[in-house]
Amino acid sequence: MRLPSRFEQQDVLDQLADAADGDFLHVGRNNVRVTNLERVLWPAAKPRVTKRDLLAYLVRVAPAMLTQAAGRPAFVTRSPEGLSGDAFYQKVWEQPPSYVKQVEVWSTEHDRARPLILIDNLATLLWLAQQGVMEYHVWSARTSYDDDVRGVPTDYGESRAALSLSRLNYPDVLAVDLDAFDYSGREAPGAEPELHRRGFDRVRDIAFEVRKVADALSLAAFVKTSGRTGLHVFLPVKRHYAFDEVRAMAQTLANFLRQLRPDDVTVAWSVKERRGKVFVDANQNTRGKSLVLAYSPRRHPRATVSMPLSWEALATAYPTDFTVHTVPDILATHGDCWGGLVDAKGDLREVLALAG
Amino acid sequence: MAARAIWSGAVSFGLVTIPVKLYTATRAKDIRFHLLHAKDASRISQKRFCQAEEVEIPWNEVVKGYEVAPGEHVVLTDEDFESLPLPSLHTVAIEQFIEAGEIDPVYFETTYRLAPEARAEKSYALLYAALERRQLVAVARIALRKREQLCVVRAKDGVLLLETLYYQDEVDVAKEPATDRPVATKELELADTLIDLLRKPFDPTEHTDTYREALESLIEAKQAGVSVSGKGTAGVKKAPTVLDLTAKLRESVAAARGRSTRDGESRARSRAKPPRSTQTKTAARRRDRKAG
Repeated sequence: MRLPSRFEQQDVLDQLADAADGDFLHVGRNNVRVTNLERVLWPAAKPRVTKRDLLAYLVRVAPAMLTQAAGRPAFVTRSPEGLSGDAFYQKVWEQPPSYVKQVEVWSTEHDRARPLILIDNLATLLWLAQQGVMEYHVWSARTSYDDDVRGVPTDYGESRAALSLSRLNYPDVLAVDLDAFDYSGREAPGAEPELHRRGFDRVRDIAFEVRKVADALSLAAFVKTSGRTGLHVFLPVKRHYAFDEVRAMAQTLANFLRQLRPDDVTVAWSVKERRGKVFVDANQNTRGKSLVLAYSPRRHPRATVSMPLSWEALATAYPTDFTVHTVPDILATHGDCWGGLVDAKGDLREVLALAG
Repeated sequence: MAARAIWSGAVSFGLVTIPVKLYTATRAKDIRFHLLHAKDASRISQKRFCQAEEVEIPWNEVVKGYEVAPGEHVVLTDEDFESLPLPSLHTVAIEQFIEAGEIDPVYFETTYRLAPEARAEKSYALLYAALERRQLVAVARIALRKREQLCVVRAKDGVLLLETLYYQDEVDVAKEPATDRPVATKELELADTLIDLLRKPFDPTEHTDTYREALESLIEAKQAGVSVSGKGTAGVKKAPTVLDLTAKLRESVAAARGRSTRDGESRARSRAKPPRSTQTKTAARRRDRKAG
């Protein structure tokens, strides 16, 4: 991973301000060609967001965003025509530029290894945006080395068995995905609940409950908005347990929350049964699944961002407070409250030993 | 596991002596109660009361008596007990080796763990390896709680276990068969099918003491001041604790690990998905709805 310096960020921002279509941005030693800079990606946002705005946003949040993305296979949502055009989900790229790091990962679906990209530098982030990427999603396992994966193999592509033994089978966060299933009453039949105050209050309340439980287990808890209606609580953990095991623990945690707050929490798979409750989804802790990256913009009319928050800030926060327009200044003022996530990894082996 | 050894001595095996400590390996998790005075919930105590003199007597005036006929006792003192032969007081003397299956389960009483004393690891490992290699268990005698007991020593999961046995005259299995009726082949085949349906490996973690759990819930609810109706504990809500959670977390990890091991690898891919993210080609839209 390479984080851009403040000087480098300002340099790219200056270039971007004057850039014309077809120009190259010089990002470190790499050149990223940009086109259609005035294309409106989020027409309904106030003010509307152009591709130039998106690129500037990415430059400004890059250090914080790359810190979270480094070493994680990334999937993206592309909408080259912006929010009003078609959108598709992309995992594999044909011959990306040399500065885009790739890793061969076995795909059970395709029965062979496929190259997945890692977002490890600013050039990659900008190149993806140039390709029409509006959302960035990443795995909860990473290829990066740390003490907790000493001796764990780094062969991800040889076979399914090899992948199961590798670093990418050992997540470094236990993700608690909280979704509000409070309906505002304005939704079309069968549609997802829309964002509204009462629903979000309930999600927030449950997020604090997750934090209490994490606290009692001596695990650190980090929260971010999903950028839509929900919240993601990440419990960073040392990579001692495989996806299957972490998912099982997440499910147990979800069931426990339901026991604690039976009137507010559901783990039901039937959408009908989730009505009026917060759905705690443990299934995000599955190998090959991705959750939206911290600081990633969302394909939401208001150009919202999946925003990491301090627990103090969460108390008064609302998802639409955090957009491509507002987040860079908030970040500059308050700092990256997820910066310490990697160093806060808890030891689940110790947590499990607690039980008598 | 119990932290304190309940016995220390040596296993003797031919010319080899292995100093060991004995720990209990199983423990029934009964819920213990104190007896109280119903009126004021104060503890009550038992007192030794002489029926002839109608006075309370101290412990040092108490002896043991064996009733030989109604009202007629033979009195035994500490000296009497000490004069009895207890040759294996501090040894587990191995007398023979047999196959584990030779002993009917009805004879097994209590299981203990044997732990090697300092510098006995080598001889301990030797006995362990020898038993494991020959797939045999050792029959021995041990004096526990002033009583000589028959026992077996066996190797399991890197530990020597000692299991005390009932003596033959302590076991009361049916002296005559309870059934000798002939059964029809067809019925036997049906029973066979039923057995096959229910045939699966024994997993002790699948079985919990539901009575004890209900009793614990009841106690917690009463402690929390929740009024409990007299009819069962179905209505009692137990506030879950972090200890419950950690225990359950351990169970879930063990279960997940078991699944992975059986399949040879992760089953992540084969899992069904919540209905919301149905597998369609409109993947981007799916993403949108997904992380909402």
